[in-house]
Amino acid sequence: MTPEIIKHYQKDIDKTLLIENLKLTPQQRSEKFVKFMELCFELRSNAAANRAASRKVTAQNNQ
Amino acid sequence: MNSASFENLLQALSDAKVDFILIGGVAAVAMGSARATFDVDVVHDQSPDNLARIVTALGSHAPYPRGAPTGLPFKFDLMTLQQATNLTLTTNLGDIDLLGEVPGGVNYHDLLPDSVLIQVFGSECRCVTLDKLIHLKRSAGRPRDFEALSELESLRDLNE
Repeated sequence: MTPEIIKHYQKDIDKTLLIENLKLTPQQRSEKFVKFMELCFELRSNAAANRAASRKVTAQNNQ
Repeated sequence: MNSASFENLLQALSDAKVDFILIGGVAAVAMGSARATFDVDVVHDQSPDNLARIVTALGSHAPYPRGAPTGLPFKFDLMTLQQATNLTLTTNLGDIDLLGEVPGGVNYHDLLPDSVLIQVFGSECRCVTLDKLIHLKRSAGRPRDFEALSELESLRDLNE
């Protein structure tokens, strides 16, 4: 892994998010993360439900 | 796995007084990362006493090898932990990687000088430092870590 690769990826990092996080304590960062992950888990759960519903419709249409 | 998993897993380990060091994505979050992660990675002390504490902490939470077919004769006990240096597990508290060693043969005692005690996810735990986390990610050399590594290096730059 070369420093050039990392520098290339660093161009796309949103540093404003990091600056905001650095203002927080580790505990506050973890609380913010938990809230963010709640949204992620909800999205994953909804996506799984949508896929299941879509499969059901496809199966019904194929009958 | 849900968002409470991180707190519950760390609480279970802390309550059983397990000696461990947080690494990986959750350690990165504690250091300021804005990336999502779905499991807890810890490097644990491999002494028999500590392994027994891990069994106490997680044994009642249905630990099972993550991604493995169901029905394997897997028993989460002291002998299993002594025989398997690293275990990637799913539990009813959430997913956890129990690592006796990380790439480069680095173990709990090697990491101790590069760790700090922090309050995170409602528990006081030992977490690897940002510099060491970068070093570990670099040592792993996995392409999928490039983005995470670049973020950690940005955090270090901002800290300086």
